[in-house]
Amino acid sequence: MSTEKQTDTPMVEVRNVHKRFGDLEVLKGINLTVNRGKIISIIGPSGSGKSTLLRSVNHLEVIDEGAILLDGVQVNRPDMKGLAFERHINNIRQNMGMVFQHFNLFPHLSTIDNVTLAPRKLKGMDKKTARDLGMEQLERVGLAEKADVFPNWLSGGQKQRVAIARALAMKPKVMLFDEATSALDPELVEEVNRVMRSLADEHMTMLIVTHEMGFARDVSDWALFMDGGVVVEECTPDKLFSNPDQERTRNFLQKHLGNNH
Amino acid sequence: MRGWGVVRENNNSNQGKAMDFNLMVEVTPLLIRAAWVTIDISSRAIFFGFFVACGLVFLQTFRFGPIRWFARGYISVIRGTPYFVQLLLVFYGGPSIGLRLDPLTCGVVVGAFNIGAYMSEAIRGSIESVDKGQSEAARSLGFGKIRTMGYIVLPQAASLMIRSVGVLAIVLVKNSSLVSIISVVELTYQAQRLIGSTYKPLEIFTISALMYIIIVYAVMGIIELAYRRATRYTTQ
Amino acid sequence: MEFDFTPVVTYFPTLLKGVGVGTLVAIVVAFMSIVGGLIVAVISIYTNKVVSWPLRFFIWLFMTTPLLLQLYFLYFGLGEWILIPAIVVGILGLGFHYMAYNADIFIATIKSVSNGQYEASRSLGFGHWNTILYIIVPQAFIRSIPQLGNNMILMVKDTSVLSAIGVAELVYASQYAISVSFRPFEFFIVIAIMYYVINILMELGQAWLERQTAYRR
Repeated sequence: MSTEKQTDTPMVEVRNVHKRFGDLEVLKGINLTVNRGKIISIIGPSGSGKSTLLRSVNHLEVIDEGAILLDGVQVNRPDMKGLAFERHINNIRQNMGMVFQHFNLFPHLSTIDNVTLAPRKLKGMDKKTARDLGMEQLERVGLAEKADVFPNWLSGGQKQRVAIARALAMKPKVMLFDEATSALDPELVEEVNRVMRSLADEHMTMLIVTHEMGFARDVSDWALFMDGGVVVEECTPDKLFSNPDQERTRNFLQKHLGNNH
Repeated sequence: MRGWGVVRENNNSNQGKAMDFNLMVEVTPLLIRAAWVTIDISSRAIFFGFFVACGLVFLQTFRFGPIRWFARGYISVIRGTPYFVQLLLVFYGGPSIGLRLDPLTCGVVVGAFNIGAYMSEAIRGSIESVDKGQSEAARSLGFGKIRTMGYIVLPQAASLMIRSVGVLAIVLVKNSSLVSIISVVELTYQAQRLIGSTYKPLEIFTISALMYIIIVYAVMGIIELAYRRATRYTTQ
Repeated sequence: MEFDFTPVVTYFPTLLKGVGVGTLVAIVVAFMSIVGGLIVAVISIYTNKVVSWPLRFFIWLFMTTPLLLQLYFLYFGLGEWILIPAIVVGILGLGFHYMAYNADIFIATIKSVSNGQYEASRSLGFGHWNTILYIIVPQAFIRSIPQLGNNMILMVKDTSVLSAIGVAELVYASQYAISVSFRPFEFFIVIAIMYYVINILMELGQAWLERQTAYRR
């Protein structure tokens, strides 16, 4: 489907997105472009709207204004209703992999079933093919030997790696990471970061919301600082983390990096 | 209308006597037969009650307000009035609105519609207890609402549902004693009749209580088995 | 099918008298079952097996068998020895039944009060029983309020069952009126409404009480 011609279409495009929770406006006109194979990190204090933005891309939050496009196809469709929209969004979501802060693995399914459920049920893949695909994805995150274990027996880091494999099994065009390492014990963060780095090496398009400044700086092509529902500053990660233009960015980084040491 | 309630006569002839084991042996077959009636009406009420409950849960998912309000109102009224009064209303009052039920059917129907209201709350509660992240994760993979419910939410809600529905089933078994008032010859009816005719309350109570205990423990056993099956993924 | 509520209006004072009797029974039973339940729970947790075993047996027995069977047993059992009014049998029967249920709750909440509370109290110089009385029990009681409320709401509905042994509460009070008016449907509908109203009021009261005590839980 993705021909050479299309490569200049951005993978994800966010255009003037507004989102309100009651009286509180959490996204105040966000614009963002993620090009194919690029990795964008979003940092910012909690409550800045960065997670809401990421969830909006997956339509887990319904935006009030603006447009979100995945590979040129509009995700939010205020003109569509009921079942038609339901079908539309389910198709869109099959092309996006989402990784949650709290993993959200399905505890009643074994690791391999967590990974293969969606390919089997949504793409109609037969059991054997799905298992091969699932094992391939589990190998990718280094957990092939845990295939028949249930999630409750895995460590946090292992759970998150399985969650990544689960998302990868749908062959997504883009991966969305919503503070993937925030709920992990410090010693487990690295194994997840390693998996994410390997995805970067494979030129997976990624949109990452994170607290890990060092990791964001290492891995991303472009970095955003969000605060109070707006993008305060965006530039290359090196510039953002070493020499930001905005006072607010500097304050945030000072506080945050200060805490880390 | 036939009045309910029992007549007691003062009878001092048994004072100071030890338990009469011969009598206990003698009445046991009668009470066992009555216990089967208790099991019969309870199990049928639970069976049909489950469908009533599912219906009520389903009605509450409607966008159209009045349908939702009807279900909520029904649940509230059933839970807010005594089962005993519901039973009397349907049995004695039913004929004036053209609803004539024999006592046994009445016991099953009222039992089912009563437990259905409680059960629907138990089912709803267990569905709501499943972490929201679970359905978000399923939705983010591209599953629709129905499949998310079927593959992800319901299997996880099942364990809690089994426990809470099980508790209700036990309550229903005990409540089934109330249908003795509309002269269904179940365990409590038979026990009361035998106490009245033999004046041996302790002996009769012991046997009939034992039967209830056996039934209740059988139900608990079934629940436990079902629960273990539903949670085998967390206790490999 | 036509309804005639005039007999209900005519006999309304009788029904109200029934509500009065039911309320009286409910208040006495509430008091008896909560205080008794607490005492039973404390004794069954903090004394030796000789005392606690029989208590737990009775809690278990009252919880696994139906109320109506217990009422019949008490009614005929006590009747063997002395002739006492039905209302007393009703209060005792309902009282013991819910005493068992309340004791079951108290046992759970008393055990849920952390060991740290006990140690902190002892370290201040409170004795064993004083610790239980001033530190453990009050905390457990407040934690029990939501479930106690549920039990009491169930109990009020169960006062209707006492009509089976001739306690002159609402349902029993309607019996005569129904037998002369042949209007069971109308009477039971009104009775159901009365119970429903009482139930709503109790639920509001329970919610209020829970709000009032929430900050202490």
